[in-house]
Amino acid sequence: MSILTIAEAAKLIAAKKLSPVELAKTHLNRIGRLDPQLNAFLMVTAERALADAKSAEARQMSGSLHGKLDGIPIAHKDIYNTAGIRTTAHSKLLKDNVPTRDARTVAKWTEAGTVMLGKLSTHEFAFGGPSFDLPWPPARNPWNREHFTAGSSSGTGAAVAAGLIMGGTGSDTGGSIRGPAALCGIAGIKPTYGLCSRIGILPLAYSLDHAGPMAWTAEDCALLLQGMAGHDAEDPASADRPVPDFTAELGKGAKGLRIGVVRHFFETDNRASDATRAGIDGALDFFRKEGAEVRDITLSPMVEYFAVGWLIMITEAFALHRPWLRERFNDYSEMLRDRVALAAMLTGPDIVQATRRRRVLCREMAEAMADLDVIVMASAPAEAPRIDNVPKWSGIEKPSFTMPCNVTGFPAISICTGFGEGGLPVSIQLAGKPFTEPTLFRAAHAYETAMPWRAKRPAMAS
Amino acid sequence: MPVPPSIDEAELDAILKRAGLSLTPEQVKGILPGAAIFQRLIALVNAPLPREAEPALTFDVEQK
Repeated sequence: MSILTIAEAAKLIAAKKLSPVELAKTHLNRIGRLDPQLNAFLMVTAERALADAKSAEARQMSGSLHGKLDGIPIAHKDIYNTAGIRTTAHSKLLKDNVPTRDARTVAKWTEAGTVMLGKLSTHEFAFGGPSFDLPWPPARNPWNREHFTAGSSSGTGAAVAAGLIMGGTGSDTGGSIRGPAALCGIAGIKPTYGLCSRIGILPLAYSLDHAGPMAWTAEDCALLLQGMAGHDAEDPASADRPVPDFTAELGKGAKGLRIGVVRHFFETDNRASDATRAGIDGALDFFRKEGAEVRDITLSPMVEYFAVGWLIMITEAFALHRPWLRERFNDYSEMLRDRVALAAMLTGPDIVQATRRRRVLCREMAEAMADLDVIVMASAPAEAPRIDNVPKWSGIEKPSFTMPCNVTGFPAISICTGFGEGGLPVSIQLAGKPFTEPTLFRAAHAYETAMPWRAKRPAMAS
Repeated sequence: MPVPPSIDEAELDAILKRAGLSLTPEQVKGILPGAAIFQRLIALVNAPLPREAEPALTFDVEQK
């Protein structure tokens, strides 16, 4: 069986031309064959998957499918609580943790009929990595196993790219969905802050944490987000507003879109590789030819967004982990504990200043987007580096492209724009105004369906 | 970015201890390069802001 997208599989399942049980078995076989080389899974839940698939197949046969996600093989990042199934955060500290309740988003995907294949590798507590001093090894990039996946949703990125799952959950506090989506050559969206519930997801930094989906295409992300989004009164940040149809604008093309390019982010603030910049320029040429209006815009230097985001992120993380950091410092990976420990250097006024500056940056981005539909940035500076060449402090030496939309809470998607000199994927990031995900999916889908990149999988998966 | 202020192992160790983290000298040494970079980020965040950046405009020591 060739590797299908969710949209393709959903059509076949609805037409009774594809068995959810056979689909689940195909994916379990692929996991058995490929995952020992990738370490994308921390746990495979084969019995649960087959039970889910049999239920989906019964609904298929009785004409009572729950929607387009019914029978679709997925897996969850191992910070998403799963009732009765170990949830470790990839950490020694939670290696025996078995939650009693599903995360709200896990429950929503289950209600939608998804088939859960297991729990996926992450950077420890969704922060810091790659780490080689944890109970489980880090995930590997399926395009080249000697290379990094980025993180922290590392297992989701690797598993989707290799076709082990059709989609999976990620979380994004400073780029943890869009980073691995970029380096693994898939699509990943950090939705607007408040769109998806965080209840039952192990937090990193509450004012920056976002839940979201990752999949092979933007269209598949739209389908998965449909099953995840929605108000949750238990999550204080949850937006109490109707959930739109995220596929509503797919197929409308790029004509008429107003696109702003934050060129200084990837040309001067953190100069991206030639291949990354060529990919972005190619995408902008496509949008122009399709009838979009494209112009450059200027924001504050990217490092200002990054500094604000990093200070807030490690302060909130330190506050959360402080009891264990004091008592069990050595049970954390060196990557996590050393980075979070930096929060000890901060004073109260530093945090107040970061919060004030955050408001300024939010206002700046909102004003810049007032007459735009999409803004364009890089997602990552280049192709994935070697996994054994990711220095502990590389994450703060240069500002990241993903942090600005965590600071502001604006939605942003990363999609593949081709391949670099090393044969690994390069990418682009499209961001929008709050709650305009359908427009982001429209732009991303228009580009993906016009380009050849979605037809190429990693060699090991072909 | 502004020139970073210096920080040495003894100062960093004292800061970490005040936060309740008692680390070995080797561990402190391992954090020191990150601390120097982090000081630059802290300096950036503390660059002066205009009065209108005060969310509530409740108080400003520079207020004339």
